[in-house]
Amino acid sequence: MDKNDTLDAKGLMCPMPIVKLAKKMKEMPIGATLELIADDVGSKEDVPAWCHRTGNQLIGQKEEGGAFYFYIKKSQ
Amino acid sequence: MPETKRFAIVVSEGTFDKAMMSMMMGNTAASMGIETHIFFTFFGLNLLKKGAKPKMPGIYRFFTGMMIKKMKGIGLEGFKEQLDMAKDLGVKLYACSTSMEIMGIKKEDLIDDVTVLGAAAFLNIGVESEMQLFIG
Repeated sequence: MDKNDTLDAKGLMCPMPIVKLAKKMKEMPIGATLELIADDVGSKEDVPAWCHRTGNQLIGQKEEGGAFYFYIKKSQ
Repeated sequence: MPETKRFAIVVSEGTFDKAMMSMMMGNTAASMGIETHIFFTFFGLNLLKKGAKPKMPGIYRFFTGMMIKKMKGIGLEGFKEQLDMAKDLGVKLYACSTSMEIMGIKKEDLIDDVTVLGAAAFLNIGVESEMQLFIG
C-alpha cells in the first residue's frame, strides 16, 4: 500500500503506540499516509478507535509475521 | 472531525499504580483529541509535589523498582516523564485546595502549571464532560 512515512511501534504496549501515532500524525501534511507497525494485540482495536475519534481515515490494515500494519491517511 | 469531547478524572490515591493509571488514561485521551482534566485530591495530591516518586501500595512497595523496569521494557516511561508528557499534550492538572490545607502542602511545593481549585470548580468541569473517571 502507498505510504509517505512509517512509524515502527513494535515492542511498545498501550498506550504508547497511540501516543506516538498522535504525535507523528501532527507532523504530517494533510492527505499523507502513515504506515504504523505495532505488535501490541490491543492496537488492533485501539488504532481504529483513534482514527474514528480524531477523524483520520484508516485506509488499510493487515496482520503479518505477528505484527499489525495500519495505513492511516491524515484527513485534517 | 467529531466534536471535541471532555474527560474529567479524579485521583484520590498517591500510589504508583494509581499514578500510572491516571497518566496512561489521561495521555491516551489527550492523544485522541479529547480535552482532559485531572483533579488530584487527598493522597493523590502528593503526586503533584515536586520530585514525587510514588511507590506501589502496602507490601508491594518493595516491587516498585521491578514494576518501573518492566514498564520501561514495553516502552512506558516513568511517572515523571508521563507527567511531562501530559503537560506537553495539554492535559490540565488541578490541585484540591482543601487537601493542600489538610496535608500542609503549599503552592510552591507543587510542580509548575498546576491550577489550585475547589470541588465546585472541578465539578463544573465534570458536569460538562462526557466522561468522568474516579481513580482511588
